[in-house]
Amino acid sequence: MAGKAEVTVITYRGIFQEVEEALGMYSEGYRDQSALVVLDKGEVKELGVEDGQPVILENGFGKVVVTAKLSEDPHPGVAFMPSSPWSAQLASGEVGEDGILDLKRFRAQVSKANEAVTTIEEIGERIRAA
Amino acid sequence: MAFCTGCSLLCDDIEVDFQGGKIKKTMNLCRKGHAHYDSLGVDRLAPAVDGSSVGIDEAVSAAAEVLAGAENVLLFGWGNSTLAAQGAGVKLAKKLGCVIDDPSSYSQGLITEKILAGDFPTCTFDDVRNFADVSIYWGDDPSSSHPRHMSRFSYFPRGEKRQRGYEEDREAIVIDVRKSPTAQIAADGFFKILPGGDGEFMEALMATLGGKIPKVEDKKKMLNLGTKLRKAKFGVIFTGPGLAHSLGGDLAGFASLVGRLNELTRFSVIPSLSDYNSRGFNQTLFDKTGHVNGVSFKNGVDHGPEFGIAKYLDACDAVMVVGSDPAAVLPGTLAKKLAKVPMVAVNSFKNLTTDIAKVTVPTAVAGLEVGGSALRADGLRVEFDAFVESDYLPDVEVVERMMEAV
Ligand code: SF4
Repeated sequence: MAGKAEVTVITYRGIFQEVEEALGMYSEGYRDQSALVVLDKGEVKELGVEDGQPVILENGFGKVVVTAKLSEDPHPGVAFMPSSPWSAQLASGEVGEDGILDLKRFRAQVSKANEAVTTIEEIGERIRAA
Repeated sequence: MAFCTGCSLLCDDIEVDFQGGKIKKTMNLCRKGHAHYDSLGVDRLAPAVDGSSVGIDEAVSAAAEVLAGAENVLLFGWGNSTLAAQGAGVKLAKKLGCVIDDPSSYSQGLITEKILAGDFPTCTFDDVRNFADVSIYWGDDPSSSHPRHMSRFSYFPRGEKRQRGYEEDREAIVIDVRKSPTAQIAADGFFKILPGGDGEFMEALMATLGGKIPKVEDKKKMLNLGTKLRKAKFGVIFTGPGLAHSLGGDLAGFASLVGRLNELTRFSVIPSLSDYNSRGFNQTLFDKTGHVNGVSFKNGVDHGPEFGIAKYLDACDAVMVVGSDPAAVLPGTLAKKLAKVPMVAVNSFKNLTTDIAKVTVPTAVAGLEVGGSALRADGLRVEFDAFVESDYLPDVEVVERMMEAV
């Protein structure tokens, strides 16, 4: 059954992502370690989302397609995503009075995707096309 | 002995057999450090103007033209620059009468500023290794971001007063929204909080330390934590980006907690900074202006959030990004604003920011291709030598040449 679920996305840095970033952010390895979201398996079952398959993450700030990783540990309403150019497309551009940005947390809708994972080149084009 | 500038631990005990641009054999280099060495041959930046290759001299001249022709310049980045380049950057900002800033303006800057101002007690990583019996990792996952943090300093090693290491002498407490690799090591010391729940956790901990019953689900676990912290002989709190972003600009609760812990025993604060010389930039600017980021030299010295990149992008008409990749980190809406501003990008490697720059100026990789000095995340100054030969210019030379040209 197709549909959308609303989640709070928390970003984090992972060691394998750090390694791939050092080895070059235009690589497939960096995309594999960055363009992903960890979802609560039980929560997204109804959306038809499967482990390793692409999902759309979108909100009022942007939209990206990333790979779903389904976790056995329940964390309903919360998804985890490496902090990366992919997560940055969804982070709020609103700047607090103190100048601090909330890059660690945002709300997004998740749904099954029938398109390929967004590439870093596509993200670069979107930024340039502004 | 070689040196690693892969993160702000600045490991100085690296043994490496490096031949033909590849590591043949190494001791003490973590995975991330290994990749940092391997990166020397990957995605190197070339000098260019408007996408066309030029010589380095032409690139530096074009960069100076961009800066000199603008009214409101922002010099941003600096975490991956040597102390000498950072010092030259502050001088350039003064000469141009412009704004200088680093990523701490939208993340951990307030905590670092309180440390540099002496408002939060601090200590060195070597003190941690020798004396610390309780390490709190708050919104911080050093196992991923600073892979040798726990093994060199904060949890596993034997130290002067900590001969029995983590088995008996040390306690790791992790406060985080997810069970990170560091939280898995801490096991029973892991406190899972709700997203944005750091303030609430602090209140509960303060109540516990004040002898009250905390308003949390697992009261026993919180009371045990209170006892552990009270009994600590030498405690340290490592603050990560998770804490900084959750608290925003309001450090009052955290300051109260640090104050209370220091009434009871001794607790230091060390920020977990990502770029190898983030602390160096914050210290350099602080020594000159009393502020760690977001400084304008337009009319003397002005400081405020309006001079942090997130806000100043609305006002600036030229930007120079040094050793950083804000286009990859800033929210997409801000990265798009950045792309509209004429930009000079100074870096060793290509990234999303160099891709949108009008002028690119390549530099040598500090710690590998060129020597220099930097401050570790705990503030300790370290000097390093070049490890391999390189034709790339040192970052300080690029900034100094620009200073002469503007
Ligand atoms: S912990 Fe940091 S400085 Fe030390 S080897 Fe690893 S990446 Fe390099």
